[in-house]
Amino acid sequence: MNNQKKISLRSQRSVKQKTIITLIVTSLVLLYAFSLWSQDFTIASSQSSPLTILYRLFIVPIIDPTYWSSFVENSLLMLETVAIAYAGGIAASLFALPLAVFSAKNSGGKVSYVGKVILNAIRSIPELLFGVFFVAAVGPGSFAGVLAISINSIGMIGKLYAESIESIDRAPVDAIKASGGNRLQAFWYGILPQILPQFLSISLFRFEIDVRASTILGLVGAGGIGVPLILSQQQRHWEEVGVILIIVIVFVVVIDQLSGKIRTKLV
Amino acid sequence: MIEFKDVSLIYPNRVEALKNIDLTIEKGEFVVIVGMSGAGKSTLMKCINRMVVPTGGEVIVDNQIVSQLKESKLRQLRTQIGIIFQDYNLVKRMSVLRNVMVGRLGHTSTFNSLISRFPQEDLQLAMKNLKRIGIDEKAYVRSDQLSGGQQQRVSIARVLTQQPKIILADEPVASLDPPTSHQVMRDLKRVSKEDGLTTIVNLHFIDLAMEYADRIIGMREGEIVFDGPIAEVTEKTFEEIYGRPIREEEKRGD
Repeated sequence: MNNQKKISLRSQRSVKQKTIITLIVTSLVLLYAFSLWSQDFTIASSQSSPLTILYRLFIVPIIDPTYWSSFVENSLLMLETVAIAYAGGIAASLFALPLAVFSAKNSGGKVSYVGKVILNAIRSIPELLFGVFFVAAVGPGSFAGVLAISINSIGMIGKLYAESIESIDRAPVDAIKASGGNRLQAFWYGILPQILPQFLSISLFRFEIDVRASTILGLVGAGGIGVPLILSQQQRHWEEVGVILIIVIVFVVVIDQLSGKIRTKLV
Repeated sequence: MIEFKDVSLIYPNRVEALKNIDLTIEKGEFVVIVGMSGAGKSTLMKCINRMVVPTGGEVIVDNQIVSQLKESKLRQLRTQIGIIFQDYNLVKRMSVLRNVMVGRLGHTSTFNSLISRFPQEDLQLAMKNLKRIGIDEKAYVRSDQLSGGQQQRVSIARVLTQQPKIILADEPVASLDPPTSHQVMRDLKRVSKEDGLTTIVNLHFIDLAMEYADRIIGMREGEIVFDGPIAEVTEKTFEEIYGRPIREEEKRGD
């Protein structure tokens, strides 16, 4: 036993590999040190302490009955936000479909990269920018929100759709064609059953993200709960801000839980 | 009846898959094609329903020259030819019954098939065929819940529901274990005899070929090197087909 050559789990690294790894690690450490050093950690003077603000945000609205009615009022606005996310998400899912077919390697053919570039371009623009743009274009309100959400979501939904189209199993399609089925039948019975559950799951996942995104969109005037949020925040009306934040948290948590449950059932 | 007249096929990468094949297969025969991988077994089979097109010669199925058929005639011919694949090629997320109904698509109008409106007698036929191979109680189970052997038997039911005249089975038991292989081959032979179907099976296990074939065709490097009824076949014949002694792994066993 003793004269056997020792086996190490990892293959031996060459000197070059070792130098490269050392260089990467050192530069990461230096980068972190530099970013810490470049921050300004001094606390600017403020009239109220963070603790009082937290107290006014999350405790007062719950214990003081005068704020209870505003829970109902703001919940309606939150529903508007959810509606914006839903409408935008459905529009995006529909528009993403042709783009995804176009940009998946197996269905789009040689020009599939064009579709990929378009989807990447859409994804790289933040939704807030789309919000500002559409508020300017169609005026403030939920319509601008729906437009911003739908355009923005196409980027991610399209990419994920395309990936699921790329991962389908061609074999059943061959079987249908070989038994005399036409192309439409091959798509309907061979491909659709494979991609439909994934598509639904992707759209639901994006809807979760859109609920959060459309909350933010209100800040630039695109309708929903974000509008009163930014107004009360500017007036330092922390109790009102607290009411809204609690509503947003409850809605987002409930929707995420529900859609997560549905998604595990789907796939 | 299937006829090959001086059929050759050279793939674009210059591989000569078939060399001057002359072959006649009569209605109702159960033919097993044996040979090593790369001998041209699959290519020969694919010529019959034009999944590949020969570069020379003619394939004639029921008095039609396959390579000259128009698109719609070809689809019609394909509804007459059922195929059983090595990997079953079922849609895994669909129920067994739906997968079997895929065999009816060639006989169903596009519109009706898109809204899943199949005639009751077609559904009866599908169910009857599931019963014939003994998996009718799984009709509403998702097909990926079934074992490999069960999935392959579903694909036999799918082919039967197509009501073909010819069945082509390309290595139908290559992914299965020995007892399941025998069961699938038994089922396939039984139903094809019951319905009087012409059946061509590619196999590379010689003991399975010996047990189930009526007639054996041996291929090597794109040529037919043996063709005769099972009575004439001995282990020596296989050594001639393979061009070397038979190895133990070329038998599936029981």
